[in-house]
Amino acid sequence: MSYIRFVQVSKTFKEGERERAVLADVDAAFELGEFIAIVGRSGSGKSTLLNLLAGLDLPTRGDIWIGDTRISALSDRARTIFRRNHIGFVFQFFNLIPTLTVCENVLLTAELSGMSDRDARAQAEHMLDEVGLLDRAKSFTDKLSGGEQQRVAIARALCANPPVILADEPTGNLDVDTGMSVMNLLTRLSRERGKTLVMVTHSVEIAAMADRVFRLDYGKLLVQRAASAVDVGRWTVDVGQAVP
Amino acid sequence: MNLTLLKTGVRDALRRPWLTLLLVLSVALGVGVVVAIDLANDSAARAFNLSTEAVVGKATHQIIGGPRGVDESVYRTLRVQYGYRLSAPIVDGYVGARELNNQTLHVLGVDLFAEAPFRSYLAPQSNANASLDSFAQFFTTRGAALISADSAARFGLKVGDPLTLRVDTREHQAIIVGLLQAPNDVSSRALEGLLLTDIASAQELFDMQGHLSRIDLIATPEIAQQISAQLPDGLSLVPASEQANTVTQLTAAFQLNLTAFSLLALMVGMFLIYNTVMFNVVQRRYVLGIMRCLGVTGGQIFALILLEAAVLGTIGAILGIGVGIVLGRFTVQLVTQTINDLYFSLSVRSVEVQAPTLVKGMLLGIVAALIAAAIPASEAANVPAVTALQRSDLEDRVRRGLPSLTRIGVLLFIIGAYLIVFVQSTVIASFVGLFVGLFGIVFCVPLLTVWFMRVGARALAPLGLLGRMAARTVTGALSRTSIAIAALMIAVSVTIGVTVMIASFRSTVSNWLDQTLIADIYIAPPQTSASRTLTMDASLPERARQVAGVSSVEVYRNVTVASPDFGPVRLSAVTSSRTRSSRVYRYASGTADEVWRQVENGALIITEPFANRHHIQIPNPIFQLPTNQPANLPTVTLLTDHGAQTFRIAAVSYDYSSDQGSLLMTLDVYRRFWNDPDISSMAVYVAPNANVNQVEDAVRAALSGSIVNVQSNKALRETALVIFDRTFAITAALRVIAVVVAFIGVLSALMALQLERTRELGTLRAAGMTLPQLWRLTLLETGLMGATAGLLSIPTGLLMSLVLIYVINLRSFGWTIFFQPVPEVYVEALLVSICAALLAAIYPMQRLAHMEVAVALRSE
Repeated sequence: MSYIRFVQVSKTFKEGERERAVLADVDAAFELGEFIAIVGRSGSGKSTLLNLLAGLDLPTRGDIWIGDTRISALSDRARTIFRRNHIGFVFQFFNLIPTLTVCENVLLTAELSGMSDRDARAQAEHMLDEVGLLDRAKSFTDKLSGGEQQRVAIARALCANPPVILADEPTGNLDVDTGMSVMNLLTRLSRERGKTLVMVTHSVEIAAMADRVFRLDYGKLLVQRAASAVDVGRWTVDVGQAVP
Repeated sequence: MNLTLLKTGVRDALRRPWLTLLLVLSVALGVGVVVAIDLANDSAARAFNLSTEAVVGKATHQIIGGPRGVDESVYRTLRVQYGYRLSAPIVDGYVGARELNNQTLHVLGVDLFAEAPFRSYLAPQSNANASLDSFAQFFTTRGAALISADSAARFGLKVGDPLTLRVDTREHQAIIVGLLQAPNDVSSRALEGLLLTDIASAQELFDMQGHLSRIDLIATPEIAQQISAQLPDGLSLVPASEQANTVTQLTAAFQLNLTAFSLLALMVGMFLIYNTVMFNVVQRRYVLGIMRCLGVTGGQIFALILLEAAVLGTIGAILGIGVGIVLGRFTVQLVTQTINDLYFSLSVRSVEVQAPTLVKGMLLGIVAALIAAAIPASEAANVPAVTALQRSDLEDRVRRGLPSLTRIGVLLFIIGAYLIVFVQSTVIASFVGLFVGLFGIVFCVPLLTVWFMRVGARALAPLGLLGRMAARTVTGALSRTSIAIAALMIAVSVTIGVTVMIASFRSTVSNWLDQTLIADIYIAPPQTSASRTLTMDASLPERARQVAGVSSVEVYRNVTVASPDFGPVRLSAVTSSRTRSSRVYRYASGTADEVWRQVENGALIITEPFANRHHIQIPNPIFQLPTNQPANLPTVTLLTDHGAQTFRIAAVSYDYSSDQGSLLMTLDVYRRFWNDPDISSMAVYVAPNANVNQVEDAVRAALSGSIVNVQSNKALRETALVIFDRTFAITAALRVIAVVVAFIGVLSALMALQLERTRELGTLRAAGMTLPQLWRLTLLETGLMGATAGLLSIPTGLLMSLVLIYVINLRSFGWTIFFQPVPEVYVEALLVSICAALLAAIYPMQRLAHMEVAVALRSE
């Protein structure tokens, strides 16, 4: 059985008196260790899908499973606890906590997941070493460049060793070269550790790095097996091979 | 709590030092006022208790008599005939001592040989400094006196120094023959203000030859009952604690009112804390959203915000205690002055800093911070993760919640009104009702603000875009603008309420003085304390009567007598030459003449506070059916020198001279029942064609040689109003503090708004809005907020003044106050609100002037 499963997931939002469907009966399955890219127009529901997967929001209908846990059936508190142990986040705008140092930002997730102070610090330093920022451990995040901040965010996402990494346009706020180096780092670390990486992106190059590419269009999640064939810029791809 | 999470809280507080300081200051100010009032009340109470302990000692019972005291023979009979040795005679009273800066001293005339079981500090062997020699002198020297070593040191006095003691209209010489050295600090304070003489000297001092003030006893209840049964008419045996309790009860309402006002300052402080914490939460919404994404639970965030508030609240409370102790030194003087003016003689030398007061202040500060932070903390706990980081989401929810918020407000207002109107058993319920009602109005402020802003937008429409923007900004940030408006509104309405109450009270007292001070010249011994029975040379009225231009002289006797039902009560007896005006009566059982005829025939007039204090129902003429039968008033039984006598009540009069109330009867009736030929004061009526000033001078000359105050009607009125103003000095000070706290509240809210809108303001600048235009926008926004607060404070303040006048004052002190509208106060309130709000805009405007547009545009 697949590690992540979306079963008939729908999500609607109220806009005044009207209801707007963002996701409609989405079915999908992602495997452990897989790199999934999700593409789609702005407002197509990509971030909503990530939020549902992270348990930040609940589907209007349907179920979402991660491993043996039906996260759509959990309480807010249980989803939060689940999230801290199973999901790492990488955001477009880095979202580091300005009042914490680089090292503290990274060890926060490890501490939250119940690791001892010493172990959390050791793990954080190890992750910073992996992303090449150990020498900046004591700096505050506002002293870092955009690329460095995103590397800290990657270290943070992996520090508590969660099986799933969610990335919402992680290169969207970086120049092409920096973006590529950050992507290489993220994919390398995820693959080495056998993580399921689910990424929302607008970049053809990045989508090309994924094992599978899905496109969100009018509330439907459509799969494009050959990632390289997806023209994310013009959205002219044949959508005949929808999942399942 | 996760250590790294804690670090975010601590560093956030350090990154926003002004905001942190504001929160700490708001707690400190609120706690400071509460602690100051508490310390003043507590110090007064402790000083009173210590002096009572020093005077009462170990006595369990006291035998007391009428105004002239207890005949000495009763003591002799008790000791010799009944052999009851655990008894001690006491002659006591108050004197002013010239060498001690005219401080009032409590003179205790004792029989040292009978004292040992009662007041151990007076036993010769326990007093190291008072040598055997000085005790020998105590019995042999005329006017020998002992005072506390501390008092002597403070005024540079030593053994052998003379003392000039003023008793009513006379002066006496005494000599210090020894100093009372207390074994510890507590006893030392107990001895403060005490002057010890032997019985004979005290009798001579107070002109009580052959009489005692009381006899102290140490007795079991059975023995006390036996002794009581043997006592002659006019004497009664009471538990020793009863006197002290009765006296302390007098000030209870006064002190409760002060405490309530101090809590009001804390309440305004709570708005400030709410505002500050809410601002902090809004500023950190983005970070809190990230934390929620990373797996921090809502509960952890709630705990984090509350913990921060508790830590800052604790720091604020510690500072507040310091502020309270400093403020306490001033408030204790004001409180003591009022107690001396209105209640009893009290000397409070220092502020007693007691642990319970400090703990109470500390807890109040922390709890206030926690309560005020609870709503923002729950707001923070419910911050959705990254998807909804904008504040507009919060504002949407506030706007959606407006109807429920307003419904809660209306419900709270109704509960408050119910408590005020229908729960009449205790004044505490009225205060709770006032607080709940005020909270109810606060809950309605957001909706009212939206309405006001609609009107405001229309009124400012001629100013174009700026006018419309200003009103929309206030509505757009309703979660905090409404709180700032509410804080300012509460503070200004407190000002209106208290000002209208004091003005109404003052005008009522002034009118009452017009009605009651009908004589032209008043003559009385100098009064050093409100509770003393003054006695004046009985030959003085006749000397005054001889002065040319004097048409008549009225004589008064003011004493404290015992009532089996009501305890010690104040009784005024007056010569019955003139009928009182019908306007001085709250209720009369007939016309003014009929009432006076009844009084001449032995009935009493009771004052309104007396009726209130003793729960005597006053018939309400408005609701009374028109019958010829006067309403039934209860009777009053008094212990006279001829046994218990019951008196009918003919009328209830307004009276604002004290809140303990008194009884009035004619001097003839008084002397029929009490063997007391003394007089206390007199009033002189000047012949219609005589010059009052000349007669006053002539009377003063005729009475020379006696220490009396001769005051014209006008001077006496002025003195009364000076005392009145002094009594309300604390209230006025608290009013100022409330406005200061509210001002800081508006300032913090505006600062918050400006900081949040940095990007928006930068965009406006980039789009071509000039600095003066932005300033105008800021001033319009703050002006609108101030005007809203001012307009809302008028009905709120009016309601508060009505509650203070018709409910709280009446229930606390028994005074009917006639409402005075004082229209200028409302205009002032509106102006104060707008000015406070405009002043609060200065700092944000300064920030605007230094804003770097490029940086502002990048601001998150």
